[in-house]
Amino acid sequence: MHVLTTPPFAGTDRGQQLFQAHSGGVWRAFTLVFALAFTLGCGATPPAYFRLNMVEATKQHLTTQQEEQVSTVLLAMFGTPDEPATLPEMGLDAAKLKLAAGPVRSDIVGRKNGLYREHCAHCHGITGDGLGPTSAFLNPYPRDYRPGVFKFKSTERADKPTHADLLRILHNGIAGTSMPSFALLSTAQIDALAEYVKYLSIRGETELSLMRAFFELDDDAAGKLPQTREFLVTETLAVAAAKWQGASAAQIAVPPMPADIELVDSIAKGRTLFYGEKANCVKCHGVTGLGDGQANDYDDWNKAIVEADKEVTGGERRAQEAQTSGMSPEELKEHREQIAWLEKFTRVLDGDALKPRTIPPRNLRQGVYRGGRRPLDLYYRIHAGINGAPMPAGKGTIPPEDIWHIVNYIRSLPYEFDGELGADRPLVARDRF
Amino acid sequence: MRSRLLGIIWSLVFLAVPVLGVATFAIAPAFDIWLPKNVSEHGPTVDGLFMFILVLTGVVFVVTEGLLFWFLWKYDAAHAQGPATYRHGSHSLEVVWTILPAGVLLFLAIYQMNSWADIKMRRPAMSPTVEVVGRQFEWRLRYPGRDGMLGTPDDLFIVNDLHVPVDEDILVQLKSADVLHSFFLPNLRIKQDAVPGMKIPVWFKATQTGEFDIVCAELCGWGHYKMKGHITIESREDFDSWIEKKYAEQESTQPVAEPSDAVAIAD
Repeated sequence: MHVLTTPPFAGTDRGQQLFQAHSGGVWRAFTLVFALAFTLGCGATPPAYFRLNMVEATKQHLTTQQEEQVSTVLLAMFGTPDEPATLPEMGLDAAKLKLAAGPVRSDIVGRKNGLYREHCAHCHGITGDGLGPTSAFLNPYPRDYRPGVFKFKSTERADKPTHADLLRILHNGIAGTSMPSFALLSTAQIDALAEYVKYLSIRGETELSLMRAFFELDDDAAGKLPQTREFLVTETLAVAAAKWQGASAAQIAVPPMPADIELVDSIAKGRTLFYGEKANCVKCHGVTGLGDGQANDYDDWNKAIVEADKEVTGGERRAQEAQTSGMSPEELKEHREQIAWLEKFTRVLDGDALKPRTIPPRNLRQGVYRGGRRPLDLYYRIHAGINGAPMPAGKGTIPPEDIWHIVNYIRSLPYEFDGELGADRPLVARDRF
Repeated sequence: MRSRLLGIIWSLVFLAVPVLGVATFAIAPAFDIWLPKNVSEHGPTVDGLFMFILVLTGVVFVVTEGLLFWFLWKYDAAHAQGPATYRHGSHSLEVVWTILPAGVLLFLAIYQMNSWADIKMRRPAMSPTVEVVGRQFEWRLRYPGRDGMLGTPDDLFIVNDLHVPVDEDILVQLKSADVLHSFFLPNLRIKQDAVPGMKIPVWFKATQTGEFDIVCAELCGWGHYKMKGHITIESREDFDSWIEKKYAEQESTQPVAEPSDAVAIAD
């Protein structure tokens, strides 16, 4: 006030006073801001929460009350991202989950905690829905664990991967995708992360079953899930968890590679099979093996979004074409509800689903093998196919020794005349000295 | 009238800069915050150049900061009460302090030429020991295998775990799969950008065995800080047996119980 009412610079002394009054105010304000920032920190972070699978909830026409029911049940069984809970039926190690969950921090003995959020959540999201902040920029998109479908494993197509399979992926990364290697993490840390991935996956699958269960409810249930342990745990959660526990028993038995055949002959046989009717690899991987065959298919995750998009587009067209003038009040009400649902689904898909992308068949001449480059890995891929992707299982149609021939042929492709690894071109630096 | 005390405090603050600056460098080796241990043949040359330039700039730093202190002390308004006088300056002084640094820079440019050529130009005549591909956020390695040629079916593929034999010329063929990275081996005094679309040769000769870090020294994305690798310098026999072991693993047709290649690093 004093500053404002005094004529400015009414003499040197006046000016000096003015300056001091001013700078005093600035200093006071500065100190205040600094002290506030120091005591409050840069804003407290709100606690992390699991996002509801809104695409599925909307698809199943769940009401807000029903969505809340699912959230409550999941919260009771699985806890929060900061405080994960376990039930014996999950078959998970709570100590490992604790190491992986929560914000990044060090515990009382200086061990790093919050590993999932440090290394994985960027892409795979806190919920494991593959919707982390960087997900939209990646091709292929990061895995959504919630459907419980995993591609690269040593088990039959429909089975879960073994714990060792998950460790292997974490250790080696997935060449050709944005998944890097975590080989420099300690064995215990990788182990904890694999356990947490299972936890997120079991949680996601339980969520899906709960949402789908509303559809089968009796009319007298009044839209409420049975609140019994038998239904919630034994019939829902335990079913999802049991598949993980049975995984290592479901490992594919691999017969030895046929030893009584020269490699060149095996490759020649593999080539015949590759182009043959039975294996028919050319259909997708192309006659040149460059992955330029049929390439307009989607993997399961993207297919779900494509179908939802179709449902919305079709629904909108039908709603527009409908003649509202001739409708009875009940029909009109239903029509309006349908329009409201379509609007909601559009919103949900805009926010919670990435733009669908087709899955190109692998270019076999690059020598980049996502699930691993060991002959064993390729055997698994051909035997069991790739779960969630259009690659079918060769099991049953292709005898094991023929699978080995195809493996040998495929491994020779990058080094053929138009393979990418074949040309060992000289280094670029000029020898000037 | 301002007190003499304020002038003294500010002068001393400015004096503290060169004193503490020099002291930090003097005690750094004792606290192990000095240069990382050198294990490469050309390392002493690089470190020698570094020390030479450090001493040169250090002297200039101390003199400049000393002058700053002296001016603050001498011309403090609290006791230097006379009116300010105008001076044009010294023409000859300006000529000296222009020509002297120019001469020093020219000397440095010529003096380091041979070392630069050794490290960046005179590539050993050999095929690459290993190909290193930087990728967000890992180092993918490819060894040429038994035939010594990259691009043949016996190539060995490894991630993040570089092994090289000691006391031998090592030629790395450096590439990038996506964006700019920088292949930095602090203990081997090697730093080279990896540029997409280029094969860049990098060479060194390790003089001691041991395990050290590979880090990325070019901001390459959100995971840049953890784009780390591991280099093991070992005897020729150990190196050969490691290659054999890894190759057998890569060619395995039957499952093994555990991924045996876990690099043991304490968390």
